[in-house]
Amino acid sequence: MDYLDYVQMTKGQRIAYKIKSFFRGIPGAVGNFFRLIGLFIKKFFMWIGNGFKGYGSRFAKGDIGTKLSYIIMGAGSMFHRQIAKGLIFLATEIAYIYFMFSFGVGYISKLYCMNVKTTATVDGQPIDVFVDGCIGQEALQKVEDDWGTQTIVNPDTYDDSNRILLFAVLSLIITVAFFAVYIANTKSAYATQMTLKEGKKPLNFIAEMKTFLDERFHITLLTLPVLLLCTFTILPIIFTIFMAFTNYNEKHLPPGRFYWWVGFSNFADVFYSNPQKSETFGRILVWTLIWAFFATFSNYIFGIILALLINKKGIKFKGFWRTMFVITAAVPQFVTLLIMRLLLDKDNGLNAMFGTHYPFLDDGMWAKVMIIIVNMWVGIPYTMLISSGLLMNIPEDLYESARIDGANAVQQFTKITFPYIFFVTTPYLITTFVGNINNFNVIYLLTGGGPSATNYYAAGETDLLVTWLYKLTKDSKDYNLSAVIGIIVFIICALGSLITFNMSKASKNEEEFS
Amino acid sequence: MTNTTQGSTMKEGYAARKKAVNVAVYIILSVMVLIWIFPIVWLILRSFEGEKGMSSSHFLPQKWTFGNYIKLFNNEDFMFGQWFLNTLIVAIFTCIISTLFILMVSYAFSRLRFKSRKTFLNIGLILGMFPGFMSMAATYNIMEILGLGKSLVALVIVYSAGAGLGYQVAKGFFDTIPRSLDEAAKIDGATRNQIFWIIILPLSKPIIVYTALTTFIGPWTDYIFVDYFMKDNQETYTVALGLYKMIEKEFVTEYFTTFCAGAVVIAIPITILFVIMQRFYVAGVTGGAVKG
Amino acid sequence: MASNSKKAVALVLTAMMAATSLVGCNSGSGSSGGSTTTTSTAASTASGDASGDTSAEESVVDLESDETIKLIKDKIAAEAEKTDGKITMKVWCSSGDLKFEKTLIKEFEDKYADSRYTFSIKPNGAIGEDAAGGKIIESPKDGADVFNFADDQLSQLVEAEAIAKVSNVFNGNVKKNNTDDAVAVCSSGGTPYAFPKTSDNGYFLYYDKRVLSEDDVKDFDTMIAKAKAANKSVFFDIANGWYSTSFFFTAGCTIEYKDGKQTATYNTPEGLSAAKAMCHIAENVDNGFIGAAGSSGDNSTVQQGFKEGKFAAAIIGTWCGRDIKDALGEQNVGAAKLPTVLMDGEQKQLHSFGGYKVVGVNAFTKYPTTAQALAYYLTSEQSQIKRYNERGLIPTNKNALEDETIKADPAQQAIAAQREFAHPQGSSVGGKYWASNIAGLGSEILNAKGKLTDAELNKKLSDLVTQFKG
Repeated sequence: MDYLDYVQMTKGQRIAYKIKSFFRGIPGAVGNFFRLIGLFIKKFFMWIGNGFKGYGSRFAKGDIGTKLSYIIMGAGSMFHRQIAKGLIFLATEIAYIYFMFSFGVGYISKLYCMNVKTTATVDGQPIDVFVDGCIGQEALQKVEDDWGTQTIVNPDTYDDSNRILLFAVLSLIITVAFFAVYIANTKSAYATQMTLKEGKKPLNFIAEMKTFLDERFHITLLTLPVLLLCTFTILPIIFTIFMAFTNYNEKHLPPGRFYWWVGFSNFADVFYSNPQKSETFGRILVWTLIWAFFATFSNYIFGIILALLINKKGIKFKGFWRTMFVITAAVPQFVTLLIMRLLLDKDNGLNAMFGTHYPFLDDGMWAKVMIIIVNMWVGIPYTMLISSGLLMNIPEDLYESARIDGANAVQQFTKITFPYIFFVTTPYLITTFVGNINNFNVIYLLTGGGPSATNYYAAGETDLLVTWLYKLTKDSKDYNLSAVIGIIVFIICALGSLITFNMSKASKNEEEFS
Repeated sequence: MTNTTQGSTMKEGYAARKKAVNVAVYIILSVMVLIWIFPIVWLILRSFEGEKGMSSSHFLPQKWTFGNYIKLFNNEDFMFGQWFLNTLIVAIFTCIISTLFILMVSYAFSRLRFKSRKTFLNIGLILGMFPGFMSMAATYNIMEILGLGKSLVALVIVYSAGAGLGYQVAKGFFDTIPRSLDEAAKIDGATRNQIFWIIILPLSKPIIVYTALTTFIGPWTDYIFVDYFMKDNQETYTVALGLYKMIEKEFVTEYFTTFCAGAVVIAIPITILFVIMQRFYVAGVTGGAVKG
Repeated sequence: MASNSKKAVALVLTAMMAATSLVGCNSGSGSSGGSTTTTSTAASTASGDASGDTSAEESVVDLESDETIKLIKDKIAAEAEKTDGKITMKVWCSSGDLKFEKTLIKEFEDKYADSRYTFSIKPNGAIGEDAAGGKIIESPKDGADVFNFADDQLSQLVEAEAIAKVSNVFNGNVKKNNTDDAVAVCSSGGTPYAFPKTSDNGYFLYYDKRVLSEDDVKDFDTMIAKAKAANKSVFFDIANGWYSTSFFFTAGCTIEYKDGKQTATYNTPEGLSAAKAMCHIAENVDNGFIGAAGSSGDNSTVQQGFKEGKFAAAIIGTWCGRDIKDALGEQNVGAAKLPTVLMDGEQKQLHSFGGYKVVGVNAFTKYPTTAQALAYYLTSEQSQIKRYNERGLIPTNKNALEDETIKADPAQQAIAAQREFAHPQGSSVGGKYWASNIAGLGSEILNAKGKLTDAELNKKLSDLVTQFKG
């Protein structure tokens, strides 16, 4: 179909066309996705290459100040009479060097130490310690007399593995940040040099500060949030990723014990080498995907149907119906879920009211079904709310022509309403699907992952990957394993949303075509 | 919330059949409302139950009492009043800091054009895909080293430090404000800073309200972080954890009805807030942002 | 510093020896004749320990004498100096014990009150006895200085080096005053690590005398049949590993926890017999038998069940004794050892876990002597008797156990009768054992109402054994 055909269509047909092409685009989007990954990698290396090229060419073309700033930060700025700016750069460099020598280098080198392990005999029992010079053996002192025993941590020689890893990661992040400032320093020196060359006056310090309220306002806005994000989100995430490659578990808990690198063996455990863990992982993964699928689409479809019922022509008290459902959606989830848990108890709640003993949440199969049903109870009002608004936007002529063609109500729904809403809400669906993979609350508060089973490792039959992750952290102290699961969940979510995101992007491009 | 009655004036040929269908719809809706409202009503009724324990086979309370609400704030094992206050404090600070962060970040991404904008957006998207509490153990270690372990400050930090990542909805809103406003102001000599405070923010009341409300509600409903962070320090629990503790095995018999009262106390304000902001919620979600 | 104090101890100990031989009687009541023999055995075992003094070890320090109290006060003062004369400690106990623990701590503070320091010792009920060990291991520095826990967590605590040894002075007294079993449970590899507190961390049968006679409660099947006839139920939480392990002990399976490794011979013919015995009982589920506690937990279920008149009998421990008495009336409460079950075609006496609740001291505490003194005080003879009176919990102290009311307590008698079939927890099970799998076996059997084939059961049992390996 070419442009001419397209413009001749009515509005309704155009929408129908777009919807059709959206669905046709799905296989292409998956292929496209892998192409894009390739592109991204290519782009990344190009970016690095260009960085080096710019770095080199600036040095080559730079004057003495610029060149000097490659070693002494701020030298360029000072050379170009931007004293305050230069001093700030210089101070940054000094601070960084001081930090690294007094702190950072030590910890980063201890990362390597976490690999060098010997066995010593303490109290007649062999325990793992690290070679001298890495972590002092006298660091954990046992003071003992007839009146009491005490383990004293000697802060000068002692570091538990957590602190080593954490501070090492911190040092690495600070190094990356410093590197960015360093590059900015050379760029700034070169830019000022160019300005001077053109015969213009470079901005003075105050004027330059003022740009932070205007041209560089984004830096002002983003600095604090990014800083906090780095400290409390990125740092812990990197730490956790590192954790996945250690044996940080019940048997190696700091401060009493150390943990060290074990390479990919945790991943191997989860995927194949340890049957308890890998079989548990397999079962939980399958259930997670089944759950995410049913939870997303059951809510979605029934939510739309509910919205249709409420918005049906001739139905009165629309506001009342809607409010009733909104109220249930509004009650905090942890409250409604805990109530549901008590209501569905084997001996209490509903069972007590009817004098029965249905194992609603005590039998694997029952519990799985009940979870999906309760999730519908929790989620349908949300979908209803969202799709109510959308229903009113569907062009009336679509229905008109459908009726002329003799379509009944069901056909109208499957051929027009549903595809239309589906098309508009795809991003929402992606978010919900990813959200359901990560849906901690519904599972944990409702069943706590139970019922327990003989063949799950530290999990129950309804555990999702995330609740398993949580239990591994909190109950069984398999921190390394939980980090592995976290990484896997991340990869699943990232792959899923990138593929679908690409798909909707592809269909958006289609739109631009009109 | 508005009644759409456009259809009612239309003349219909199959009036009788229509009516039958409508009656069916009314019945379905009524049944559904009953199912949906039942647990809530059950909760409220239990909160007025004078008999202890959760195995009551009665729907209506056997003995009506207001005692559970009194016991909620006045008992030996649980300091609900303290927890309520804690949550309020955490919620207020989280709300202020997070809202500010979200507005700042989304304004920067929506209205400002800078070199690494795309990169930042992508990083934000990627970070959002890590399970939120995956790095909880590490975060706790950091708090310990900072001397903030088991404190409310740690909670505020955890809730608001990542707020920058929740920029999608607000960004979607800012995207809809015409750029010509910025241009006009720029011609008048306003800096981007001034544009943000004087022009954009006053126009963004709905999104500010939405952001503030969602960030305010967050701490009331989080269980995971409080549980992991506060450990044995009951003085710094928040209501969600406190209520959860009430129905743990040791306490459930004694405190089940008190739990119900507590749940009602928490649910009422949040429900009201949500009902008020539902239209912002819809606008936010259907704004079309893809979130991690 | 260590050598100094050793000298001081040696001095005091010699003084003590003289004092004890003169006075002849130790703290509180109790026969002096018995105490000398225990002293010598305790000392001979203790001499295996690391510390070097020889002559001093021959005797047990009298902790109640004025000199010792003064010496302890000096020790406390020295520890308090580092924190500006203020002793801030935390004690973890079960939430039910919170009030009682508070009074004991108050007594301790009064006993060792001194102008050189002030106490600020706070009991905390947020971490119960079942969870304390795990939480201490998770981060010892956040943990309580003194914590109550169930003896099965000891090996984990020792492995993680998170629990302090019981120091010699206190250990001598602990060994002398408590039953041998209790003392044995509190040590690991010959080293003492905890203070025994109560001897009733095990279960037995409570029943309603109006429904069941003494003969009825001898075997499970009769009991269920009688209960069913009265339209009531028997409760045994076999969807809980702590209880369901009974069947495996009964069948003769070996369950061992050693060097951080859990082994259990469940995937054997004996294991199958145990599982089949569980199935046999589970056939009556919801029909004279209730086998799972559900979300409200075993204790609440029992309390509620007796209160509402649903239960005729329940297998549970002393901690529910008070509630059951309140519900049935004291004269109607019967207590007995566990019944027999039908296994391999014959009636076999059910075995059980018989554990202890103990008190430990955090290895990282800032106040080692103060903490040990407190732990000792919390588990001393007077405290144990008070604990029995207030909370109904059975002591481990030999003298306390001689107390007439305690001796006459039906629960205590039931525990004593069950004792020969009870297995210690510490050496049988580690933390991984309680991970939900063993519970899973019970609930799967219950959900199937016991209708599982041998092949299915064998599969489950071998899964179980694999999971124990961790």
